[in-house]
Amino acid sequence: MNWVLIAFIFVPLLVAFLSLAVPKASRGKFAVLAGVAHLALGVYIWLGGSSFEKFSTVVDWLPGLGVKFAVGTDGVSLLLSLVTALMVPLGLYYLTTRDDGKLAAFYPLALAMQTGILGIYAARDLILFYVFFEATLIPSLFLLGRYGRITRVKALTTMALYTVFGGLLMLVSIIATRLLSGSPTFLLEDLLRGVRNIPEWQQVWLFLGFLIAFAVKTPLFPMHAWLPEFHAQNHPSGVADLMGTLYKVGGYGLFRFALPLFPDVANNYQWIWMLLAAFTAIYAAWIAFAQTDFKRLLAYSGISHMGLVALGVFSLHPAGASGAMLLLAFQGIYSSGLFLVVGMLERRFIMLEGGDETKEKALDRALEIGRVRGLAASAPAFAGVALLLWFASIGVPGLAGFIGEYSILLGAYQANPWMAAIAVTTVVASAAFALTAYQKTWYEEATHTVADLSPREWRVLVPIVALVVFFGVYSAPALELVKPVVAQLYGIVLEANK
Amino acid sequence: MTPPDVNVLSLMPILVVLITAVFATVLPFYTTRRGIAGLSAMGLVVALGWTVALWNQRLSSFNGAFLADNFALGFSVILILAGIAAIASSSDGIVRSGSFPAEFYAIMLYAICGTMLLVHSKDLIVMLIGFEVMSLSVYILTSFQARQQSEEAGMKYFLLGSFASAILIFGIALVFGGTGTFALEAIRTAVSSSPANTPIVAVGALFILIGFGFKVAFAPFHQWTPDVYTGAPIAVTQYMSVGVKAAAFAGMLRIFGEALPSVAGWQTPAQFLIALTLMIGNLAALRQTNFKRMLAYSSIAHAGYIGLAVLSSPAQAFPAALFYMAAYALMNAGAFAVLNSISPSDDGIKVDSLAGLGSRNPFLASMLALFLIALAGIPPLAGFMGKYLIFAGAAQAGFYGLVILAALTSAVSVYYYLRPVALMWFAEPKGFALPDLSSGMSRAVMIVCAIGVVLLGVLPSLVTNLVANIGIIASR
Repeated sequence: MNWVLIAFIFVPLLVAFLSLAVPKASRGKFAVLAGVAHLALGVYIWLGGSSFEKFSTVVDWLPGLGVKFAVGTDGVSLLLSLVTALMVPLGLYYLTTRDDGKLAAFYPLALAMQTGILGIYAARDLILFYVFFEATLIPSLFLLGRYGRITRVKALTTMALYTVFGGLLMLVSIIATRLLSGSPTFLLEDLLRGVRNIPEWQQVWLFLGFLIAFAVKTPLFPMHAWLPEFHAQNHPSGVADLMGTLYKVGGYGLFRFALPLFPDVANNYQWIWMLLAAFTAIYAAWIAFAQTDFKRLLAYSGISHMGLVALGVFSLHPAGASGAMLLLAFQGIYSSGLFLVVGMLERRFIMLEGGDETKEKALDRALEIGRVRGLAASAPAFAGVALLLWFASIGVPGLAGFIGEYSILLGAYQANPWMAAIAVTTVVASAAFALTAYQKTWYEEATHTVADLSPREWRVLVPIVALVVFFGVYSAPALELVKPVVAQLYGIVLEANK
Repeated sequence: MTPPDVNVLSLMPILVVLITAVFATVLPFYTTRRGIAGLSAMGLVVALGWTVALWNQRLSSFNGAFLADNFALGFSVILILAGIAAIASSSDGIVRSGSFPAEFYAIMLYAICGTMLLVHSKDLIVMLIGFEVMSLSVYILTSFQARQQSEEAGMKYFLLGSFASAILIFGIALVFGGTGTFALEAIRTAVSSSPANTPIVAVGALFILIGFGFKVAFAPFHQWTPDVYTGAPIAVTQYMSVGVKAAAFAGMLRIFGEALPSVAGWQTPAQFLIALTLMIGNLAALRQTNFKRMLAYSSIAHAGYIGLAVLSSPAQAFPAALFYMAAYALMNAGAFAVLNSISPSDDGIKVDSLAGLGSRNPFLASMLALFLIALAGIPPLAGFMGKYLIFAGAAQAGFYGLVILAALTSAVSVYYYLRPVALMWFAEPKGFALPDLSSGMSRAVMIVCAIGVVLLGVLPSLVTNLVANIGIIASR
């Protein structure tokens, strides 16, 4: 038993329960401080490990039935976990700056969700993975339900049905994979050994079970319809959207489980999966262009990103797969950052009109793109930070988004130039919708005057901007983490297709 | 003449309940209703102690017709706990609808006796006696209130139930005709040694399937369930949906897993029944506006999930079914306990009237939310582990089609389970306020159920370790 990793996964949940005993007024501070300490634990794992195997733990969970509590970490898991551990306290800190006393339940729910997400990245047993994958849904639904907007119940029902529908099919696939492969346990390594004995036509069905679950959570067309509603109906601060962005683990699931388990299926029908991913990317970018609501715009932009992530994973090429994991990690930083920027904008727009945040119409107006224009004149620093994050999001070189998108397209080109060609147009399209929205909000003739970034807002945005620039210029630390895992995975895929 | 083979020790759990029942029948002339309730609960606790004490002993009586193996004892624990929960709920019911005759407890205890006899039986006649004692008591309990709905429900249940009993007896007779014995093990040997009589046994097996299918509410024999569950007093519905169902399933598993596994002909109809049950239970529950009726339909759906265990091989199916039943008992008894304490009348409540309960009564609302999320099968709660074990067993037996159907229908169930949760916690309270009738005892039951639901979900090995070998031993 190695308690460091187990603590890293479960400390947020523990803090969530403890925070219930903390007075409501100081609950936010408590959560943020605990989150910072938790991040330090994550950094300790990062610095402490040239070999991450020492952090793994396998104990019987359902003895005799092959279900184990197996957690471990490696470069990819750690990178994604660190991003989660960083962004959650940042988001919660931003939340404390606008806490009106009604947000007391927000902190424990977000922390519970964090444990779920960290568990998803650490699980090395498929049943345990499923448990974390589905359990995270509950706090996510409660966040939406407690703090969402007027039609939140519809949004959360849609989300729950999509997730559970895909998840249960995956559960059947998981059970069947173990039975058909004759593996003694549900451990990923045991399944990997046995899965080659399964006839290919059965592998196709098993793969589809996994694909549906991950297509919901990536999300990929046509399983994406829940996501725009999820973001549009969530709390206006953008912190719940940040949690939702971190919960988009479909790309990771494909990378970790679906492809290594079924490399033949992934390879033999590669063009179908790549087409699905490329089409998602371009389709979402196209729809984003027509959005008039900031959150829906970001939602579709996120779907478009995720299409690229899936494209990189399906390229079955080391460059594509590394790019996918890097993009998944970095978009967790800058897409989340953009959601917080939208939260800051919403705050200002509400104040401009003396509106009431609890009124739907006021919120609709506050989140409408292009209603307030020309903010750069009165808030130049805010404009600069927002521009930087938008640029990162459309993959401008020198910022964190570039390395991921570039590697994905490189890998995709090697696998299938036509699909790469479709996907490249996404980059153009996302530049178009992002810059249009940016221009409307920040440039053009000023219609209103707003305050520039407050010191507290600076504190939220500085770490995000610093990381986005740092990894844009020097992505080696992240790449070092991802590379060995990708090489190992690519070895499995290559081995299978010899 | 040899004396009959009676091992009093093996009978202790049932005898304790029976003696308590006799006292509860006589004592109402001398003491208060509360006293009887306390006495009944105490008797059940003693019986529970005996059940636990007999664990792993595998005692038998009546030449093997009565067997206290771990399978029977495990189900007995569920039945007794369900009984205690129902007694706790009944005291909330009194606050609502006024006192009722204290014989309620006596009859409840007789019903528990019947269910316990049913799960202990290794012989079709003993099983039938248990089945009938259970059924007759529950017919009375159903119509216990002087309300039209309650009386109507009791009458409906009695008429249809007698019909089902007749079919069951006919099936037993056919099996006896084909094999010449009532003992389950002897039937199994007879079937394999003289295949000539198999057609008669197969027809008998079908009739037995229908008879039990009625009690566990397999579609299309489920038609009585919504009306009876809605009409009966809530505490009785609680016991019916947990106790009667558990006992009937235990009987089914015994007959089909131990006596008739090699008889062809019942498996295919059983698959159809289960598929139909899964679809009808879940789809009909979607359309319900009454919360009590919704739970009734959802219990039909759960019968479909446990039904998968009847098809699987005993080595996996018995532990899986026992785990699922334990989880289901905790979730469902808890949900009914909450429903009981917030219902202004025994008709239950509209789902919509749950709106805003979270802010009005956080304790009851969070309990109900926990039980509903567990019933929906979302991890890490007990309902998920139960579903996993059932699905894994059925997949191992090769019923992939049914497992996929079960997975899809449980995705549907998420909708009707989460809607009340969403209403309680995310909707504004309406003008109409639900009462809070919960007594200390029923709150304690809810908390115990909640702890159980979490514990069985997070540390399922607590139970699976105990019951892992019951299927292997039973199928020997």
